[in-house]
Amino acid sequence: MAPTQVSQRNARELLRPEVLASLKNLDLVARSVVEGVLIGLHRSPMFGFSQEFAEYRAYSEGDDPRFIDWNVYARTGRTYIKRFLGDTNSHLMILLDASASMGFGGPPVSKLRYAQFLAASLAFLAARQHDAVGCMVFDEEVRDYREPSTRSGKLQGVLHCLDSATAATGTRFEKPFDKFRETMARRGLVAVISDFYCDIDDLLAGVRPLAWHGQDVVLFQVLDKEELAPSFQSNVLLEDLETGEAVEVEPEYMRERYPERIRQHIDRLAKAAAGIGADHVLVDTSDSLDGALRNYLLFRQRRQ
Amino acid sequence: MMSLLAPLFLLGVAAIALPFWLHRLQTESSDRRPFSSAMLLERAEQRVHVQKKLKYLLLLALRVLLLLLLALAFAQPFLRLPADVVEATDAGTHLVLVDTSASMARVGTFSQARETVRDALDRAPADALLQLATVDRTFRVVGELGNDRSRLLADAASLDPSRARLDYGAGMTAVERFVAALPPPVTLHFVSDFQASGMPVRFADLVPAGVERFVPHVVGTGEPFNWYAEYARDSAAGIQFGINGAGDRERLGDAELYLNGSLIATHGLSQTGPQVLDFARPEYEPGENRVELRIVADDDFAADNRWFHVVDNKPPTPIPLITLDTGGLPMTYLSAALESAAEYRVEPLIAGNFDPRILSRYRWAVVDDIGLLDGGLDAALSDYLSVGGNLLAFAGERAAGLETLPLAGNRRGASGLGLPPGEFLSIGRIESTHPALARSEGWQSVSVSRYLPLLPEAGDRVLIALQNGDPFLIERQVGQGRLLLVAAHLDNRWSDLPARPVFVSFVIEAARYLAGINEIDRTYLAGSSLPLAVAGYTSGQVVDPEGNTLLSLADTTREQQINLDIPGFYEVYTPQGQTVVAANIDPRESDLTRIGQDVLDRWQDATASQPAVTSAAFSMEQERSLELWHWLLLLLAVVVIGESILGNMHLKPRVERA
Repeated sequence: MAPTQVSQRNARELLRPEVLASLKNLDLVARSVVEGVLIGLHRSPMFGFSQEFAEYRAYSEGDDPRFIDWNVYARTGRTYIKRFLGDTNSHLMILLDASASMGFGGPPVSKLRYAQFLAASLAFLAARQHDAVGCMVFDEEVRDYREPSTRSGKLQGVLHCLDSATAATGTRFEKPFDKFRETMARRGLVAVISDFYCDIDDLLAGVRPLAWHGQDVVLFQVLDKEELAPSFQSNVLLEDLETGEAVEVEPEYMRERYPERIRQHIDRLAKAAAGIGADHVLVDTSDSLDGALRNYLLFRQRRQ
Repeated sequence: MMSLLAPLFLLGVAAIALPFWLHRLQTESSDRRPFSSAMLLERAEQRVHVQKKLKYLLLLALRVLLLLLLALAFAQPFLRLPADVVEATDAGTHLVLVDTSASMARVGTFSQARETVRDALDRAPADALLQLATVDRTFRVVGELGNDRSRLLADAASLDPSRARLDYGAGMTAVERFVAALPPPVTLHFVSDFQASGMPVRFADLVPAGVERFVPHVVGTGEPFNWYAEYARDSAAGIQFGINGAGDRERLGDAELYLNGSLIATHGLSQTGPQVLDFARPEYEPGENRVELRIVADDDFAADNRWFHVVDNKPPTPIPLITLDTGGLPMTYLSAALESAAEYRVEPLIAGNFDPRILSRYRWAVVDDIGLLDGGLDAALSDYLSVGGNLLAFAGERAAGLETLPLAGNRRGASGLGLPPGEFLSIGRIESTHPALARSEGWQSVSVSRYLPLLPEAGDRVLIALQNGDPFLIERQVGQGRLLLVAAHLDNRWSDLPARPVFVSFVIEAARYLAGINEIDRTYLAGSSLPLAVAGYTSGQVVDPEGNTLLSLADTTREQQINLDIPGFYEVYTPQGQTVVAANIDPRESDLTRIGQDVLDRWQDATASQPAVTSAAFSMEQERSLELWHWLLLLLAVVVIGESILGNMHLKPRVERA
């Protein structure tokens, strides 16, 4: 047990945002995160996530020939595909908010950088599950889009798309959801990563059609610690990163009333998401990434 | 056009940088930081910020305005306005001049004068320009030149006689300067009691140039009955008052003598005319005593029935005389001179037989022969001078035997010590502006038959030189003290100076000079000025007979001429101490005898015979100026109130939240 405990602790250390920030390569970040998470989940009865064999299925055209069990073929002369637990060949579409407000936070990492880590980890994890992974980077417009694919080379494209996102301008959820609706062909998972500084009704107007269409939507709300519990000691003039609007606030307000207001906002978002069958995961950028990924896996398992 | 009296104060405008700087600090005091979203921040805070910003700008504007106004107010701006157009008319100007000297306070005289003014104004031609003025010791213009008779009558009703004297010559000279600026032809109505004692020495001084017609209005007619005091003299025997009485009445009156407010003696007045009242020497209190003579008589002019006098009864100040012979002539002459003022007492000190440290008790000392100073005494006196002591030294027989004088260090000159028998030298040059010599007269009569020829050293100031140019009195600054060195002995064998009256005045003035006392005269005439010189950082303060302080705090640091307008005792506080001075009405004002009619006729004729001034020659060149500083101060007060209210409003929310 001792070696396992040590390796679990080491893995968790590796998932700290400040450690991940030192890794320049998003691919490496995603790989480190996923490996760390998987070590933590080793033989976990809770999730049952593993590469354990589940069943054989007759090969049909379009299946990846890598998964043909050649031993069975040698014995029977028939091609069968080996299926594992958790292997559902789902779609994962990652919608990453790259608006200016996502540039807030840190050090060590801004909300956007943390969201990139999260998105990359999700993409890597999904690819490992043989899920098709696509991504869309948006702010007021759709900045970049990669349609879901299971081809191995596509993952690098998705990671590159995520890595090149920079925080700019405002946020509008209509455009990415409209674009996604236009291109979606089959049901799957939709991970929306944003700070969700928007009107919740407007957001729901975009998410609701997806849910009705059978998509499973999870909203990752990424917030910095300074947004959840501001620590201003004196009067401060806060300038909205998206609108440029300046508001003078007092430390008393930021310590006492603001945390209450943002908690209400988070609660409203969570309640609204639950109302349409979507999941809401609050992500604090000061926490390690495994919590967010665990939530994702829990959500994925529940969906199956 | 606006001008500035003190443009240098405009440099104060640079102070507006201060509020800008302060406001820059204030606006930057709120740290500006980026934040993800303002959507959850208090919207009300934003409005407060905007309001604050507006308030800041308004507050800044008010503060800048405040400093601008302050700088402008100090710069004393004024507007040059064109003079009111005064059209010269054929009737010209009627100048009504009212005598406000002390004698006009005679019973019924001034009310008669007011009536006369009214009459003169009524009789003036309808289109004449009118001007009212008063004259006593000074000439004052009352109101402005114009045709508004009701205003002039109101001005005339407010006039009152003063306690000052009027000299008609001086008065007419002032009129002459004034009428040059009036539209001609000028008719001068002079309302006065025309005292004979007010006449000038030269009759020509009565005739003001520029006046075409002189109309005398005599008031206060009738035989006067008036008692008045003319002087007071105190001596060891008693106190003496010179009084005079004019007129003839059955009941005359009494003279009462008051000492420090208490009646101590009475003297009956049985006959009019000049007389001397002798009172036995009262029991004076130590220090200054207020002596007052009151004439109790039902006369026409009550204001001059009191005479105020100050008697200083302080003990004589001891003056040390360093000598070898306490019974010699120097002691005799010096004692006689100093003790004549009853302020000093000579205290002989035998050279070499006293502790030199006792000199520190005295502000100044006398050495009858500088040659008697040996090494120890020389050093002691040198120290005494360097720390602020003062010395009056004479050169005697012992000094004559020395090539270089002790203490002073002056060497003997080449010329001889004595002059041939029967020959003498007079005084050639005197620095009469020197305080020790300013009041002494008669130096020219001094004959010097023997003196010590001295060569002046660097820093020596020769105050008196003999005919041949040799110094006779030298002054030298030694450290903080002064040395006055006389090149002759206090002995009539050297010169006749000790026997001359000038010696007394010289020794008294030298005593005051060396003691550093700026003596103030004790007796003044009402209406005259008391000079207050600045000593140290202050000139002093004066309390008038009614108990009012005459100087503001700021004025006490400036040299002043205090007008003694009312008779009585004035308390004068100077850095040297407290003094009481007395002011009395000039006795010449008490002599109510009028000028003869023939003199008045000549005065009129002399004025009428002057060449006429034509209307064309008249031009009103003087501009009017409107000073704006008081308006600026008013505006400043409003801005200060606005700034205070706005500043308070600005602070209020912070206080509530604190």
